[in-house]
Amino acid sequence: MTRKYDAIIIGAGVIGAPIAYELSKMGYKTLTVDKLADAGEGSTAGSCAIVRAHYSTADGVAMAYEGFKYWLDWENYLDHVKDEKGLARYMNTGSLLLKSQGHDWKKVKKNYNEIGVKYKELTVEEIKTMVPVADLHEFWPVRRPEDPTFYDEPTKMLEGAIFCPEGGYVNDPTLSAHNIMRAAEAKGATFMFNAEVVDIRTKDGRTAGITLKDGTQIDAPIVVNVGGPHSFKINKMAPGVWEGCNIKTKSLRHEVMYCPSPDGYDYLNDGYHMSDGDVGCYVRPEVGNTFLIGSEDPACDPKEWVDPDDFYAGKGGLGRDNVLTEAQWQAQCFRFGKRVPDLPVPNQPKGVVDLYDCSDDWIPVYDKSDLPGFYMAVGTSGNQYKNAPVVGRMMAELIDACEKGLDHDKEPFQYKFKYITRSTNVGFFSRKRQINRNSSFSVNG
Amino acid sequence: MKLFVCVKHVPDSAAHIAIIDHIRIDENISFLLNPYDEHALTEAVRIREMNPGSEVIAVCLGKADAEKTLRSAMAMGADRGILIKTDKRHDSIETALALKTAIEQDGSPALIFTGKESIDDQGMQTLFRLGALFDFPAATNVVRLDIVSGKAVTDTEFSGGVVSTYEMSLPCVIGAGKRLNTPKYPTVRDVMRSRKSPIQAFEFSDLNMETPKARMEVIELIPYIQKRQPKEITGSPSEIAQKIVEILKNEAKVL
Amino acid sequence: MTKHVGVIPELDGRGLKEADMGMITLARQKDTHLFALVLDGSDETLKEKLSSYGVSTLVDIRLAGDLQHNPEVRAKAVIGAVKKFGISAVFGLSTARGKDLLPRIAALLESPLVMDCFNVDLEANIAETSRYSGKTLAKIKVTGPVPIFGIRPNAKEPVREPVSAKIIQFDAGAIASTQLRVVKTGETGKGSKISLAEAEIIISGGRGMKNGENFTQLFQCAEKLNAAVGASRVAVDSGWVPYALQVGQTGEKVSPKVYIACGISGSIQHFAGMKTSGMVIAINLDTAAPIMSNCDYYAVADALEVVPELTKLLEKSACVT
Repeated sequence: MTRKYDAIIIGAGVIGAPIAYELSKMGYKTLTVDKLADAGEGSTAGSCAIVRAHYSTADGVAMAYEGFKYWLDWENYLDHVKDEKGLARYMNTGSLLLKSQGHDWKKVKKNYNEIGVKYKELTVEEIKTMVPVADLHEFWPVRRPEDPTFYDEPTKMLEGAIFCPEGGYVNDPTLSAHNIMRAAEAKGATFMFNAEVVDIRTKDGRTAGITLKDGTQIDAPIVVNVGGPHSFKINKMAPGVWEGCNIKTKSLRHEVMYCPSPDGYDYLNDGYHMSDGDVGCYVRPEVGNTFLIGSEDPACDPKEWVDPDDFYAGKGGLGRDNVLTEAQWQAQCFRFGKRVPDLPVPNQPKGVVDLYDCSDDWIPVYDKSDLPGFYMAVGTSGNQYKNAPVVGRMMAELIDACEKGLDHDKEPFQYKFKYITRSTNVGFFSRKRQINRNSSFSVNG
Repeated sequence: MKLFVCVKHVPDSAAHIAIIDHIRIDENISFLLNPYDEHALTEAVRIREMNPGSEVIAVCLGKADAEKTLRSAMAMGADRGILIKTDKRHDSIETALALKTAIEQDGSPALIFTGKESIDDQGMQTLFRLGALFDFPAATNVVRLDIVSGKAVTDTEFSGGVVSTYEMSLPCVIGAGKRLNTPKYPTVRDVMRSRKSPIQAFEFSDLNMETPKARMEVIELIPYIQKRQPKEITGSPSEIAQKIVEILKNEAKVL
Repeated sequence: MTKHVGVIPELDGRGLKEADMGMITLARQKDTHLFALVLDGSDETLKEKLSSYGVSTLVDIRLAGDLQHNPEVRAKAVIGAVKKFGISAVFGLSTARGKDLLPRIAALLESPLVMDCFNVDLEANIAETSRYSGKTLAKIKVTGPVPIFGIRPNAKEPVREPVSAKIIQFDAGAIASTQLRVVKTGETGKGSKISLAEAEIIISGGRGMKNGENFTQLFQCAEKLNAAVGASRVAVDSGWVPYALQVGQTGEKVSPKVYIACGISGSIQHFAGMKTSGMVIAINLDTAAPIMSNCDYYAVADALEVVPELTKLLEKSACVT
């Protein structure tokens, strides 16, 4: 049995759903397939859903700032669609970037100026009034608790911080993907769940469709890989696509910890999102008045590249199957515990383990491929959640332009932002690019 | 006053348990301080604060790696630790004897605290065996402890909200329940402060104990496999409720 | 040779419990003579009932009046009877009371003890229980005098096997407990608040509960079920219930015997907190919700209509039995 669509999107996460939405709005008959049971149930669900503008490249800052505007305007973006599950909420906390050796904050500042991001520079004293629980000594370099020097007394103070009043997080990332799915459906999009793709079929050197695990074949001249941590496996299913990428992706295991806020501090309501390169952590508030503590992947931490199918099947013993590792629990919580000395660290780890779809330079690949009709939005490296609505629109326009004859590899598509007055060269995200040395090579992008 | 707290190094309840050779588990998983022991420690520290000059000593029978659990205990307020190192898994009978011998070597206890059970073996008896070996009274699932004129007054909680108040002579053994207190988790400062706290470690064999006559020995471990086969319950809301009651009663046997 | 096996029934206000009869059925094995060790008074009715499940001798243990509720005294009295009647194994219930009695007996007798057994083979001296929060089953071989088995309530279906029985009075003698004194026993007040981590039954609510007020339904039902109330992240995030009730990856991880999910879709994050539950019953209007295909029983219904019915039924049944 075959069914025919104009475009098939593989992956109903927070990046896949907006691509379906925008293509549908442009008149494409789309089908989004996902191996899981509902939208946003994959690595989207494990996302910290942080919305902040500091990136190491001007394009990165521009896109994040543009994305922020979408989250502010969420109901409009969804064209006031009704979702029986309710709408995801953007929580504006403001965003602190501590000035430290762990971040190239001078570059961030330059990018902010270039893009016009609102910000304020703070002294240590000013930070202290905003975050009274913080110890603002410099703890650099980031170390592991197994290292005896981890406990050395600090001697210097930090320089200060860059504060963006515009920043925060989305309270329910899964729900946000679900919202976009409902919006897309209202524009005629179809979503299919519990449907695992096992093959990308071609005909006469062009994309012809997909084959599902149960043998179902679905035809479409356009297929978009938005498979998240599975993206590299899907690229390998399409003839010539993996080989044609200079920038490759693979899946990286990543842990996020939850620690209760110190007694008497209402982090949930009074706290800020904070990127703290000095101790290699980022934090945001979470329900239950807890600190959600993510890692900025310092060089001293082991990187564990895993097979996504094995990971999600819970195979492999230690640390798999959504189980945090004790060593990393201590590393992240104790590091952040230096910044907040009253942070209680429970003996039992609590948090989230999921996968990043990580590219070679931690900058995503938003591109066509060497197989006509096959596109990809991959390598989102734990930092693209906030950009999802922008990416949806950009990818849809890129696909449409390429299908109408644009040779994007030769003449890169220029995407014009909707909210901020600026265009971005989509060639920046090319699969053919050389590794971008300006990248932070971390979740910071 | 010497306040001893017996702590156990147990697999994280969230860890995936894999069985090797039908008899033991793959220990390449996270181990941590038994959660009930957190309450025992918190209570011991509280008693210490009320009795200046007292000392909280955490005692653990476990593999060398159990030092981590003692470190957690010390970060939560224990002054020092005693580690009885063993590669074997001992039953409650031998465990109680080893703990008793080690405690006795260290001094006379004023109070001994344990969790009411460990989350791995769930034997629920070590505290009573300790009591019997010392000839101390013991109480389990303690949700309140007061020291009143040289006696321990405790509430033991039973199901349905029923509580028995016991008065015990000192020394005695307290099996801490979840509602005894709210554990105060350590901060990095606490971890740093306790990093240098002493741990006295020795081998199980150094205790020169006689092997007890009675034994409980695990001869087989079988994974509890849950392959759920959903069955539909149909009918009106009241019919559905009726069927759920029957399932709870006859199949799940919880009513 | 006939083994003398002691069973300790746990009497409530109305006499023998269903769980006692299951426990006795399990104790009744090849070549056994069952002695019921009764601590709270015996009569002909009790004898009739016990004998219909195979108890041949009812030992009416007499304790000095005010010491009847002292667990130390009770343990010593049982030990007296064990010695007097040459009992070689003891069965009791792994209930809250049993957990305060059986380990005391084992400790004083220096006997092996396995709690929370769901099966016992007296010939091989092997008990089956669970380990690692219910994630594994374990077979335990016991060696030593008078092994003691705490049987998980209702682990065994009671099967009648009438025998003729006699009552023997056993005076436990003067047991002075100088070390432990029962000051009082009483209710703590408004029902028990069972913690999520320890509850045998959890009834949990999610998006389908629609608002915080509707959670009252769950609390009422939980009280009748002797259950704890849980919640999905959505319910907590919406401010319907406090964070302490959250079950899931970032909340409590629970392993109750029964998990009743009301209006919970069952995201991967929620499963991470309750997948080790014994039985999962889902009530949800959405047939496509992931939990409906990953549970033991599901009802396509509005939890807000089913839960009050459930509470009503449980109220009724509490009056009848």
